[in-house]
Amino acid sequence: MNDISVILSSAIRLTAPLAFAGAGEYVAERGGSLIISIEGMMLSGAFFGILGSSVFGNPVLGLMCGVLGGLAVAMLHANLSYRLDANTFVVGLTLNILALGMTSFLLETIDMTPHRAGQVTVPLLHDIPIIGEPLFVNRWTIYLLLLAVPLSWLVVQRTRWGLELRACGEDPQAADVTGIDVNKRRREGVYWLGLMAGLGGACLSVAQVGLFNQNMTAGRGFIVNAAVIFGGWRLAGVIAGCFLFGFADALRLALPAVGYTIQPQLLIVAPYVAALLALCFFAKRNRRPEALARPFVRGIT
Amino acid sequence: MEEPAGSETLLAKVAGTTTRTSRRNRLLANIALYVVAMALALAVSSVLIVAATEAAPFDVFHAMYEGSLSRPSAIGLTLDRAMPILIVAVGGIIATRAAMFNIGLEGQLMVGGLVGAVVALKLGLPAGAALPLTLVASAVGGALWAGIASLLRFWRGVDVVISTLLLNFVAIEVLSFALNKSWLLQETSSNTQKLPQSDRLEPAYQITRIGEQPGFSVSTGIFLAVILAGVVMFALARTRWGFRLKMLGMNPNAARAAGVSMAAVGGGALVMSGAFAGLAGGVVFAGTAFRIQPGYSANIGNDGLLCALIARRNVAATLPVAFFFGAMRAGGGFLAATGVPRYLVDVVQPLLVLAALLPPAVLFLWDRRQALRLARSEADSHDEPALIGAAA
Amino acid sequence: MVDDTPPSARTGEASTSPVAAVELKGITKRFGEVVACDRVDLSVSRGEIHGLLGQNGAGKSTLMKVLLGLLTPDAGTILINGRPVVVKDPLAAAEMGIAMVHQHFSVIGALTVWENVTLGEPGRLDGKRAIRHVTEIAERYGLDVDPLTRLDELTPGQRQRVEIIKCLRRDPTILILDEPTSVLTLSESEELFGTLRKVVLDEGRAVVLISHKLDEILNATDKVTIMRDGRVVERAVTAETDAAGLARGMVGRDVVLRSSAAGLGLLEEAERTVEQRTSATPDLDATGTAAAPVILRVDQARHTTRDGRTLLDGLSLELARGEILGLAGVEGNGQAALEEMLTSLIALDTGTVEVDGVEIRTGRPGSMANAGVTVIPEDRHQAGCVLGMTVAENLVLDDVQRVCNRRIISPRLIRRQAEELIEQFGIKTPSPNTPMASLSGGNQQRVVLARAIRREPKVLVAAQPTHGLDVGAVEYMTEQLRAAAARGVAVLLISTELEEILSLADRIAVIHRGRILGVVDRADVDLERIGLMMGGHPA
Repeated sequence: MNDISVILSSAIRLTAPLAFAGAGEYVAERGGSLIISIEGMMLSGAFFGILGSSVFGNPVLGLMCGVLGGLAVAMLHANLSYRLDANTFVVGLTLNILALGMTSFLLETIDMTPHRAGQVTVPLLHDIPIIGEPLFVNRWTIYLLLLAVPLSWLVVQRTRWGLELRACGEDPQAADVTGIDVNKRRREGVYWLGLMAGLGGACLSVAQVGLFNQNMTAGRGFIVNAAVIFGGWRLAGVIAGCFLFGFADALRLALPAVGYTIQPQLLIVAPYVAALLALCFFAKRNRRPEALARPFVRGIT
Repeated sequence: MEEPAGSETLLAKVAGTTTRTSRRNRLLANIALYVVAMALALAVSSVLIVAATEAAPFDVFHAMYEGSLSRPSAIGLTLDRAMPILIVAVGGIIATRAAMFNIGLEGQLMVGGLVGAVVALKLGLPAGAALPLTLVASAVGGALWAGIASLLRFWRGVDVVISTLLLNFVAIEVLSFALNKSWLLQETSSNTQKLPQSDRLEPAYQITRIGEQPGFSVSTGIFLAVILAGVVMFALARTRWGFRLKMLGMNPNAARAAGVSMAAVGGGALVMSGAFAGLAGGVVFAGTAFRIQPGYSANIGNDGLLCALIARRNVAATLPVAFFFGAMRAGGGFLAATGVPRYLVDVVQPLLVLAALLPPAVLFLWDRRQALRLARSEADSHDEPALIGAAA
Repeated sequence: MVDDTPPSARTGEASTSPVAAVELKGITKRFGEVVACDRVDLSVSRGEIHGLLGQNGAGKSTLMKVLLGLLTPDAGTILINGRPVVVKDPLAAAEMGIAMVHQHFSVIGALTVWENVTLGEPGRLDGKRAIRHVTEIAERYGLDVDPLTRLDELTPGQRQRVEIIKCLRRDPTILILDEPTSVLTLSESEELFGTLRKVVLDEGRAVVLISHKLDEILNATDKVTIMRDGRVVERAVTAETDAAGLARGMVGRDVVLRSSAAGLGLLEEAERTVEQRTSATPDLDATGTAAAPVILRVDQARHTTRDGRTLLDGLSLELARGEILGLAGVEGNGQAALEEMLTSLIALDTGTVEVDGVEIRTGRPGSMANAGVTVIPEDRHQAGCVLGMTVAENLVLDDVQRVCNRRIISPRLIRRQAEELIEQFGIKTPSPNTPMASLSGGNQQRVVLARAIRREPKVLVAAQPTHGLDVGAVEYMTEQLRAAAARGVAVLLISTELEEILSLADRIAVIHRGRILGVVDRADVDLERIGLMMGGHPA
């Protein structure tokens, strides 16, 4: 039984960075932006998180630096795509390379002494069998999810900004006629993603690992893309998707240690296949924003 | 998520009305913009070099030049690096022409090289027949991998961007699986601890090289790549197939109405781009890497995709872009000598790519302002005012 | 700006004001060398429905876009309640009390009614209040609609109601409607005008009705301003004018109302044309077509989309050699699906299509074209042509093989074929290699027509063939269709404009919810009956 607890703990740790970024990408995609530079944003967030914690000697300030690091990449992406109309995939691929190159380069040229975010144990609750440890003994950053995820949902579903954002994701032409600045809303959606992905990356480095490794996000940003698809563009689904990916990863790490032999590749690949199957067979449920990844050009209907 | 034809058609309208002088001014503006943007990118890189290292920016750029272009041997290395990128990019253009956004070229390359390696290493073919079969098998492997996305698109309506994106990750795991199974590709060394990598390809099975090492030496694969680019260029411009592909890419509704089968032509273009990516994987395996390892694809597929996207619909433009990418890869190896981490290349290259995006973007905005004026006058008068000649 | 007070409560004081609600003075707007609006004056008072009449391209929409802040005028002033204002964008316009119901809807399918209604307003999002407000307005004006439904579940007529509610919620001083009846049945149109009356009389608002249909202007407006070529050519009190006068002002010459009825939106004239044409050809027997063999037979066609909407619901029709069958109906009743089916774009779930007695497989690309069915699609930019390709390329879109040697395209052949067709159809283009996008709409339509006719079809399907064309281009198109029929081509004319159908068709079929409700011979045309059928009442 203890094994389950350990695996769950690890799954939740692995899910957290994905979930932050997932909440962000959910917002961006509802506005019609398919952003593949999450990887770059998370990596940048992870690096600047550690750099900040090292410079200021404080994990909280480090986290904030990480958020800004993610935002910087997002601002580049948003302005190149939604001001200069550069192709979003070109920009995304390029920014991923840039973020990887930049962080790898700086890592080798800057000496850092990171400060790690502390562990918290929620009294009483952590004694609950099986789920107690995984849910209530964690680095404190993870509990920011309780703020970030509901906030992302509220912003999209319950605010005027979110309504306008959704309008831009569904029918930018009509939104434009109604007097909404489509490209501005979309930029703002991507900024939100930048904040969240930066936070996710910083959470990974500052809290969970405690230092920065070269290419430490290792494809997590793309997993977030997959999770949003898996979740059918609904936030609950997206977070579930993130957990599924995190859980599969945890199993891959843990099972050999516990003595089970299972194809690790099969485990890793399962969530991707699940996402593909979901696309195939729940097309009606998984309604993607109508104008997803379609640039908005004014005056063309 | 097909690429919208709208913007291009509007721009075509503007292009159709510009005068010769304004065209010359555009050219000059274009050149000026490129110079400024490139200078900007290099300036940013220089600041980074100065701020983070002891080295002088000039020395650094010179080292990159040394490694990629200065000597015949360096040029050979650049061409070796450019070769697979070019092949991927040419295939990528076929797909983008048909408005099929195949962003899974990296995965298709991985799978292609994998299938090629199985044929080359496991079937015990005679040396003469092995190489062509390896390359064909690679192309088939890549085509099949892209075929999955094509199938999902036309059978269940799954968006190509999304499926190809996901299939990239599946490909990584397929590769990892194959390299961990001794009955598949894992090496047959006598070591107890076998690495997750394939055996090395025997020289007799490799793609021939011309020239000897310290001098100019290049894989003959580069000729294959350039010939393929030429063939595709002709096919796109002059054949019935190319015409249909263009129609489909610019206006899928009109194409379908005119009897072009989305599934056959569009799906075919997708599969074909996969075949090119797969072939590139085979060329990497049999031409430069000689061994399949996790991550052997080294982002070549994504660079090829980027190259295709930068070249837009124009095959000829892939040649210089691929060469540039190859040069950046080749030049990076020489940085170590200057004491600057080789990752600097991964900063300079994307900065230059972003810089290359700026001039067209600025011109696009400029054109669009004109187009918008037209569009509005048109939206007003439902019968568009004739720009040329009188109204009907 | 938006509050809960019912719109009428605050309008009383101003309703008797002598100052015009909106006044446009000397508005000029140029696009390059084209002058879309040339020193236009327009004055609309509270309590009146003001018709803005003009052909396509006369400058009506440009003028309204200036008023809405979508365009900045080159010269001229706008006065609201006598005060000069600058309208910088649609939001500013809304604040000044200017609201517009767009021709192409600005509502979003994936959002609910209340979300759509509140979209584009400033301030906090308050769902409950918005829902309450929508219900109130809906009740008040008899615009029945459920605030919680998603827009893509509504019919075009209902969508328009949402659009109107959206405008009324902002308590506008002036409400602009751009060609509002094109998506409505006759009875829905009457309801709409009833609502507008109420808006004007009870609440002292001003309404501008943009239209090119004389009937609508005559029946629904108090005053009318006629525009032609960017200028105001006539102002009148509607009651003191007649159709002939309006038509003269709009077209700029004396028009024989009968022959141009289609272009002018004159139902009664079109009806009279039918009578005369019928009586002029007494040799036709009662069915009008019994002698000619049936070329196209659609039997029990059924098509349901993947998300479960039934577009064709057992549609059957027959089309004979040399006849023009008009398919009348309100937009969105399956016309598009029928057109797509006959373009081989969609396959039928059940039912058959026969051309000349041979069953054709639906949905296989090119099968219809190969069987001799060619289509002039509803929206030429959608499916008719590729704007990014040249005129010559567009002329061979559907039959590339003709200009190929084996599979290689011959530039010589493509050019020769283009030159022939350009000459034959009088397409005005600087060269065959000009991009399609730089041709005028009328010439683009000629390219589409040339391609359709060159293939010598057995069946020619023309969907809204004159939509958006000016009177001259309409006449050309009409002649061509008549000529095709005279050569023995079976013509299926799909149109939402009854006038067009009445002036062209030999028989009229009415489509409603994906099935044919009835077929009327042109000799027996009874407008009321057709109107009822278009509204879904089998007659």
